[in-house]
Amino acid sequence: MAVLKYESQTRDPLVDGHKDYHQVTEDIIRPIEANPSRLWWIGFIISVCLLLFGVYSVYREVTYGIGQWNLNKTIGWGWDITNFVWWVGIGHAGTLISAILLLFRQGWRTGVNRAAEAMTIFAVMCAGQFPIFHMGRVWMAFYVLPYPNTRGPLWVNFNSPLLWDVFAISTYFTVSLLFWYSGLLPDLATVRDRAKLKWRKRMYGLLSFGWTGSTKHWQRHESLSLVLAGLSTPLVLSVHTIVSFDFATSVIPGWHTTIFPPYFVAGAVFSGFAMVQTLLLITRKVLGLKDYITLNHIDVMNKVIVLTGSIVGVAYLTELFIAWYGQNGYEWYAFKENRANLFSPYGWSYWLMMGCNVLSPQIFWIKKMRTNITVTFFMSILINIGMWFERFVIIVTSIYRDYLPSSWSTYYAPTIWEVGFYLGTFGLFFTCYFLFSKFFPVIAVAEIKHILKKNGESYKAKMDVIENKPAEKFYEETHAVPH
Amino acid sequence: MSLKEQFTVPGRFRTISLSLMAIGIVSLVAGYFLYGTGDEHYQVRFWGTLIHNSVFFLLVVNAAMFFICATTLAMGGWQLAFRRVSEAITVAVIPLGVIALIVLLALVLGHQHHIYHWLTPEGDKILEGKSGFLNPRFYIIWTILTIGGWIILGRKMRLVSAELDNGPVPVEQGRKYVFRSTVWASLFLVWFALTVLSTAPWLWLMSIDAHWYSTMFSWYTFASTFVSGIAVMTLFVIYLKNQGYLELVNREHIHDLGKFMFAFSIFWTYLWFSQFMLIWYANIPEETVYFKPRVEGAFKGLFWFMFVINFLAPLLILMRAGSKRNYTTVTFMAILIIIGHWLDVYQMVFPGLSQDPETGKYHVPLNFFDIGVALGFVGLIMYSTGNALAKRPLYVKNHPFFKETIIHHT
Amino acid sequence: MGVKKFIVGCFDNEDVLFPAVKSVRKAGYKIHDVYTPMPIHGLDHAMGLRETSLHTAGFIYGIIGTTTALTSITWIFTRDWPLNIGGKPHFSLPAWIPIMFELTVLFAAVGMVLTFCYLCQLAPFVKKHHFHLRATDDLFVMVLEVTSKTNEADTINFLKKAGAVEVNVQVAEDGWWLGRYDKEQKLYQGHGETVIV
Repeated sequence: MAVLKYESQTRDPLVDGHKDYHQVTEDIIRPIEANPSRLWWIGFIISVCLLLFGVYSVYREVTYGIGQWNLNKTIGWGWDITNFVWWVGIGHAGTLISAILLLFRQGWRTGVNRAAEAMTIFAVMCAGQFPIFHMGRVWMAFYVLPYPNTRGPLWVNFNSPLLWDVFAISTYFTVSLLFWYSGLLPDLATVRDRAKLKWRKRMYGLLSFGWTGSTKHWQRHESLSLVLAGLSTPLVLSVHTIVSFDFATSVIPGWHTTIFPPYFVAGAVFSGFAMVQTLLLITRKVLGLKDYITLNHIDVMNKVIVLTGSIVGVAYLTELFIAWYGQNGYEWYAFKENRANLFSPYGWSYWLMMGCNVLSPQIFWIKKMRTNITVTFFMSILINIGMWFERFVIIVTSIYRDYLPSSWSTYYAPTIWEVGFYLGTFGLFFTCYFLFSKFFPVIAVAEIKHILKKNGESYKAKMDVIENKPAEKFYEETHAVPH
Repeated sequence: MSLKEQFTVPGRFRTISLSLMAIGIVSLVAGYFLYGTGDEHYQVRFWGTLIHNSVFFLLVVNAAMFFICATTLAMGGWQLAFRRVSEAITVAVIPLGVIALIVLLALVLGHQHHIYHWLTPEGDKILEGKSGFLNPRFYIIWTILTIGGWIILGRKMRLVSAELDNGPVPVEQGRKYVFRSTVWASLFLVWFALTVLSTAPWLWLMSIDAHWYSTMFSWYTFASTFVSGIAVMTLFVIYLKNQGYLELVNREHIHDLGKFMFAFSIFWTYLWFSQFMLIWYANIPEETVYFKPRVEGAFKGLFWFMFVINFLAPLLILMRAGSKRNYTTVTFMAILIIIGHWLDVYQMVFPGLSQDPETGKYHVPLNFFDIGVALGFVGLIMYSTGNALAKRPLYVKNHPFFKETIIHHT
Repeated sequence: MGVKKFIVGCFDNEDVLFPAVKSVRKAGYKIHDVYTPMPIHGLDHAMGLRETSLHTAGFIYGIIGTTTALTSITWIFTRDWPLNIGGKPHFSLPAWIPIMFELTVLFAAVGMVLTFCYLCQLAPFVKKHHFHLRATDDLFVMVLEVTSKTNEADTINFLKKAGAVEVNVQVAEDGWWLGRYDKEQKLYQGHGETVIV
């Protein structure tokens, strides 16, 4: 039996306008077939310029060494690791949307999952640059891999959280890529079958692996997506958990606290959703996809933002409270003097973090704010700044005054090459995203078609027949024994 | 086909719940004469059992309200078929809250400083430092506010749901209704975050090991009691189903409840591991002291037994879709999970209380008394839930999303 | 594999497709496959396909991953080159859980995707016959295999009556080959003509 497609009319539709299957294909594939707009070119060129500046900054660092950065004896981790954690965090929303929301059967994920997953992959790529180049002798980077060698045989340290990171980030990247690409296959086949140009036929023919849409293949594809989602859910938790272990396994005040793993994950989702908002607000405008990324989607994502922001807030207060409650002088000093004291050298960054991450998202309790594009865009930027400062606070304020007052250092400020490296990753991220939005469907075509007759505006309008039925009658009709 | 909406408490159900409560009272009395009257070291055993059971079961029934509010905010539709069951369970927050309040206040007012060492902080620099938080006045006020808040906001959520019994809700009105219920649900969740997810477990449970601290503790307690709450809901749903009620609930709903049990068992393990591993790794004496009697000392057997049934069993048994759709397996797993997390909270409470003051050795005092009191609480929850179920229609059939639960499929 | 003759019926609505699949099966026709632009729940059951056991394969790959991690780290840190790291025991299981977990996921995910591609014959450079280009757009394409017992005209009429908006007969290779999508390839001489009815 075909499954009855019904959803309460109380819910807003997820696909606006009067679409049929073909119209969905048209709307989403058209940007790929058309020439890119001027806005696209401007954005792309700026991104490439940033990327080139980043490449030059990295070239300086590789040639002259880590001394090109302003790290010092006390602040051994500065901007670079802050950036690393920040990018990894951003890379969490994609998998969250596609995996966890798939398991929770949240229909709205279909409009945003493809772009969010792509964003995840690019963000993890950016994140990976920082620890790799922080190694100094980057050509020795393969030393982090465990393999029988002639150096001892010196193995890597499996007890070290930094090595766990190597495994976690590379696994996360691989699995996200597989998840994203396996989802893309049917849509690439759609592009291929519509293509008029020779090169496009050839390229998408190659990329779509010969997908036909056979029922057996769909059945396996569904099973694969479900299991990959099931695997990605603990995976996405594990990645930021392991990043938090980098800090929490230590005995540095402000780092060793047991709430770090779940709170890092919540923070990652928080910042990831903010970045998804930033990108999708631009994408829906530039590519004209307002019917698919509706105000409803933006509203829901803002709800996730206020939820995760508040979880992060509870965690901030918990840490602060337990630092006092534990009655450990060092821990309390780190929180009271290095962070919460506004007049300490980096006190401002703590309050910036609190303001951006905990206080400002609270405006999303109000529906008017959640559905206001300008406010959402502004907030998404603010949250990303706040989340950057969260990592900065954790890293720098915990170590700039260590156990040895003679080595205290308050003069850490990044050099232009440190900043350049960061800007370069922005270049990499946006270059990748622009290319993606040009050559790939930014919305999962097949998944939108899958929910169209349940969540599409025109189909929902017809559901009032069901809506007006009493529950008993509806139950009777849907549960009649077939004969 | 009309829906069976009126539940009448079966005689057997009532008999069982009353006899379980009788067992509880008998155990309580016996325990009082055995343990409650001796010298103050001995009384710890008596009060420890009461605090363990009253707090555990209170948090478990309150977790059902958390589930209701979370699904309300997530705009869930699938759970509406058994929404009234979850609501009925949360009615037990009232009697259990009162009992827990009496027990907790009796501890503080009765000056049980062998349970709460912080009641006599004099001479202990660390406890003196903590006295801004760990002091009788704050404890009493905050405990009353905590439990009172759960009772009042939970009641409000049930009243909002009761409005649906008045008649059909057209679409426009439905939107307003959904909005209003999310407002109350989020208020409950805010209060929940300020209590269960932070202060309440610190005050009630963590302060038993008064020197020790862990930022994870409250979230960990939450995970433990939430998964038990889901298990309790599942048991009631399956019971009603067996009695011929809840014809709208089918294998798909059970499957989803099974998924919740599976996922949150893993989540519990994740939080447990994160807390344990970080303390094990950093190896700071003031933190590791907590795990010494639990993981390595006298509680070792109990601890690993609890770990196996709370993690390995759900992982291996509930992983298959087939077992999540099998009523017998799900029932078995739900009971196992409740027992497992009861033991989990047991090992949070008792190691801090069962150190011999002379030899410094730990022992596990678990016996009939704990089990009897626990059964009493089970009986009370059954009794309260049964009565609450009989008071209202079993379905929120006018809920705007209700038809979605009728055709719910995985 | 090889060249076969097929009768192709295209439907533009899945609500018509379901009863059509049912009646076609009931009438005893052999469904080669149904091609759809998106997954359609329940269609596999309607067609009588058996459940996939891909997830079981995933479970086994996962176990292999866990075992690989545990055994290799154990061997390295307790036999091959034991090191004292922060006074922890050589066998420090809690510290290895993260890597064991990651390898479990990695093995399961990579293994499953490769198995999926193998089972569905999906790979770069692979080309297959596509019965209708709109099967990835908005058409649901039911393909029946013509056997010696099939009466073509009857079948075509049957499909039309079942609600097909377009019916045709095609002779095609039913397997895969290496090829490019921008070039038509004649795999066999004398075949490959499409007969539109």
